Amino acid sequence: MAELELLHRYLALGALLFGIGVAGFLSRRNMIVMFLAAEMMLQGVSLSLVAWGRFHNDWGGQVLVIFVLTVAACEAAIALALILMLFQQSGELDIAFWQHVREANQPPFVDRELPDEPIQIEHWPTLPPAGVEPEVSLEEILHRSHV
Amino acid sequence: MTPGQIMLALATVLLAAGLWLLLPRGARGRRAGAVLAAAGLALLAWQVARFDGRHWGAEAVFWALAATTVVSALGAVTMRSPVYCAIWFALTLLGTAGLFLFQGAQFLGVATVVVYAGAILVTFLFVLMLAQPRGQTHYDRLSWEALLSASTGAMLVGMLTAVLVGQTGEKEPGSAAAALATTISQHDREQRILHPQHVAQLGGQLFSRHLVAIEVAGTLLLVALVGAVAIVSHGRPAAVGEGSDRG
Repeated sequence: MAELELLHRYLALGALLFGIGVAGFLSRRNMIVMFLAAEMMLQGVSLSLVAWGRFHNDWGGQVLVIFVLTVAACEAAIALALILMLFQQSGELDIAFWQHVREANQPPFVDRELPDEPIQIEHWPTLPPAGVEPEVSLEEILHRSHV
Repeated sequence: MTPGQIMLALATVLLAAGLWLLLPRGARGRRAGAVLAAAGLALLAWQVARFDGRHWGAEAVFWALAATTVVSALGAVTMRSPVYCAIWFALTLLGTAGLFLFQGAQFLGVATVVVYAGAILVTFLFVLMLAQPRGQTHYDRLSWEALLSASTGAMLVGMLTAVLVGQTGEKEPGSAAAALATTISQHDREQRILHPQHVAQLGGQLFSRHLVAIEVAGTLLLVALVGAVAIVSHGRPAAVGEGSDRG
């Protein structure tokens, strides 16, 4: 595969991951899913960086991705601590709970009522009892005790 | 507008509509959304990539990895249960790790699996289990402005790929990128970025040219650790009081 073609494919893939991540970050309301979408944007950028590094025959792209990994780990630690703290105060992971900190000229978000989902009876897998204890004849017991 | 640009615009619209239908809105239409998004992605792939019949093995591996990555990314963003989101995201990470390996970035492929899928994602799942013991909640079944955000993401993809396709489409032989691609030979790459001793070369680069940056990154990790502990312990005033009594 020609190098230019490879670069184009990887840049398009990186753009796709970044775009999907943007859409998810903007639309989802669960804080953890928002955070997953942000990580997905980082992945898209990393793909582009590695592709550029290979195209220019330079280690800089891969080194930069290592630093992206470091920053992502730091970000995960801090963000999960923040999310846990917010969860302890609100009792839910909904980002709309915190809408009272919005700017003064923004209209409030009004939650839409959802139709109830049909309750599905879930069938969880169960394990049958693993066999039954075999009957041991009295003769065998006596025989063993003599050995 | 050239036919290529029209096709790209169509792909963008299809992708936006598919994402909109796929995102949780409290309404039906997820299957139609999946079909639309798949059509948009296929159109996009057809516009960007030129199939190379000589290396069909490499092509098959690339397309399998790319399809896994993008489909699971869509799943990670649109699933209603956050646990499923995390699991689809793990699949995305495995796909990206494979794509890194495909580029010859072996260390990054392994590091992505270990650091992201192994550490960060498991922490996500841990927090999810801690914070959300029951099944689906109303805020996972609704999203903010699904249409606007899906259009934003799809427009971003469309514009970036339009730049890419525009670079190759008209002035391919004389373009700067094509000229640059021919100046670096395969032999040059095998001396540097595709060196057989990949990790040794990468480590040499890291600890010679980027030594200061490595030290700063280590400090950043330490500061983040201390910060996370400080945030969590400040969120719980009762626990802090108990700790100081004991101390």
